[in-house]
Amino acid sequence: MEMHEEQVGAVTALAVKGRLDSTTAPLLGARLESAMARPGASVVVDFVNLEYVSSAGFRVLLIASKRADESASRLVLSGLSAKVRHLFDLGGFLDLFSITASREEALKAAS
Amino acid sequence: MAARAARHRPPNILYGVEDRPPLVVNVLSGLQHVGLMSVFLMYPALLAQAAGAPPDIGASLVSMTMIALAIGTLLQVIRMGPVGSGYLCQPISSVVYFVPSLLAVKQGGLTLVFGMTAAAGLLEVVLARGLGRLRALFPAEISGLVVLLVGITTGSVGLRTALDDVDLSSTANSHQLGLALATLALMVALNVWGRGPVRMFCMLLGMAGGYVAAWLLGAIGDSEWERVAAAPAIALPALGHLGLSFDATLAIPFAIAAVAASLKAMGNVTTCQKLNDADWVRPDMRSIGRGVAADGLGSLISGLLGGHGLNSSTPVVGLSNATGITSRSVAWPVAAILLGLAFVPRIGLVLSTMPKAVVGAALVFSSTFIIVNGIEIMTSRLLDVRKTLVIGTAIVFGLAVEMNPHLLRILPTAARAALGSSIVVGTLVGLLLNLLLRIGVRRTATIEVEPGAPGTAEALEEFIEAQGAAWGARRDVIERAGFNLAQSIETIASIGVVNGVLEVAASFDEFRLDLRVSYDGPLPELPDKRPTNEEIIASEEGERRLAGFMLRRLADRVSASQKGARSVIVFHFDH
Repeated sequence: MEMHEEQVGAVTALAVKGRLDSTTAPLLGARLESAMARPGASVVVDFVNLEYVSSAGFRVLLIASKRADESASRLVLSGLSAKVRHLFDLGGFLDLFSITASREEALKAAS
Repeated sequence: MAARAARHRPPNILYGVEDRPPLVVNVLSGLQHVGLMSVFLMYPALLAQAAGAPPDIGASLVSMTMIALAIGTLLQVIRMGPVGSGYLCQPISSVVYFVPSLLAVKQGGLTLVFGMTAAAGLLEVVLARGLGRLRALFPAEISGLVVLLVGITTGSVGLRTALDDVDLSSTANSHQLGLALATLALMVALNVWGRGPVRMFCMLLGMAGGYVAAWLLGAIGDSEWERVAAAPAIALPALGHLGLSFDATLAIPFAIAAVAASLKAMGNVTTCQKLNDADWVRPDMRSIGRGVAADGLGSLISGLLGGHGLNSSTPVVGLSNATGITSRSVAWPVAAILLGLAFVPRIGLVLSTMPKAVVGAALVFSSTFIIVNGIEIMTSRLLDVRKTLVIGTAIVFGLAVEMNPHLLRILPTAARAALGSSIVVGTLVGLLLNLLLRIGVRRTATIEVEPGAPGTAEALEEFIEAQGAAWGARRDVIERAGFNLAQSIETIASIGVVNGVLEVAASFDEFRLDLRVSYDGPLPELPDKRPTNEEIIASEEGERRLAGFMLRRLADRVSASQKGARSVIVFHFDH
């Protein structure tokens, strides 16, 4: 998995490429935790190049979402491919996260 | 077992299946559907002609079919128990049942048609519960073959009907031939060069044009017009001819019709699912099974009421697509209009007195589309040597019977009635050859990996993708299988493998992909119920239960067993 982080105004934008599994999920978890350390932070995670997400990846996202709720931060996901979207749907995660079609929409929603 | 994804309406659909269009849109859409469905009422009308029934009985057959159509339309949308797909996928009086009904009407009159239609409808309801096995018996080449043979028989019946007793030396009979050709030409012209509604209703307009031409040529007697004019505006259909009878020698033709109807309903409900979901990936078999059950109940009810056999219609689903209105609420005006028209005897009388030349032309016209539809279904999969032999041999046998019926003299007399049609002979030859030539068709490949080693999940995904490409497997099935392998290896590694090696055996035929994962170690939990978010967050155990839940849902069936230290999980994917 590759991660790229960029600051767009007040929003921290992460781009994740490759596989989000039990090996790589802790890396994303650590990055999200640090990005949301400040109360009221806004974080966008772009999954347009994500190929695979396992239960370990979903767990990390759930933990980040809980952290966002507790610290009045915003977490927006974007760019799910049809395959990844199907996995989100299968695991019952589509309604749990704020998800947009594109990174631009996610940046707007998080601002 | 796998869940249907939440529906995401495609952009070309104005009102999706769950939407409620304004009343005016609903009613106009309903009228359009009834207009299209009414074209196919020529089958009960023609059946009454073939039975030599008086016009009032023909009108009753049409009316009873309309009542059954109204009920069948509602059965598809209301979803009661195991019945109803939930989609606007209403039936028509179908050519699939018309051909065996012609055999029945010659053998035992209308009561035999009704009894056998009801029995075939019941069989379709039963088949709805075992659709998976049905698919294996009836692959695309056999389904297409049945449709092709139905089309050829329909065209042949149409030609015989149009040219019945034609002696070209007689002026009256050359008028009949001219009328048939002119009606056919009008339908073709409206279909090829017409636009919008003209094209959509080309057959109905062609029949109306042929009817008017027949009247101008004097081919419709004054007494027939007087009978139509004298009929009451509203009346209960005649019931004197009703009754049920059965004949075992017709069991095979009607059983084949029931199977063909089930397969067609499966295809149409699948199309409805695709039309209503931009993210559609795979058929929802639960909705399909309920749709086939509703389709069969429609025919069962129609037979009991004294109507023609029903089946879901591809043109009707196509109309929903063309108009962008797939809302199930349209079913209510459709049913209301059909019920109302069922008590207008003049409609049935007009259809029942339609000149044979016009009916024959309509049958020939519709047969062309059925034939090409059959060819398309047959060629929708790559045709290897095995399929080529199945299709070719079955067509040769079917056509041989159609062209030369006394070939059946080699059979015992009792068997002749049961096998005496090209559809039956062609289908049976195709089915038997398909079963015989399937021997040795299943292919298997295996791989061994070490759970927990770097790159194992990727290696498994690459393995199944390479095998899938070599086997010609569907992309969506391979993607699901790839996820299951990657997630399995992750989960199994986290619970521990005793001797460090995990074996995956993938076996495939065109109906099923099975993944057999075996290793020495404990079985992972594969729960039916999703763990709560709190459970997933709280521990890795919760995460593993989520993995097990997703593995179970992504496959169509899962079985897990343990013998001694050896654990075996088998994921089945329908193909």
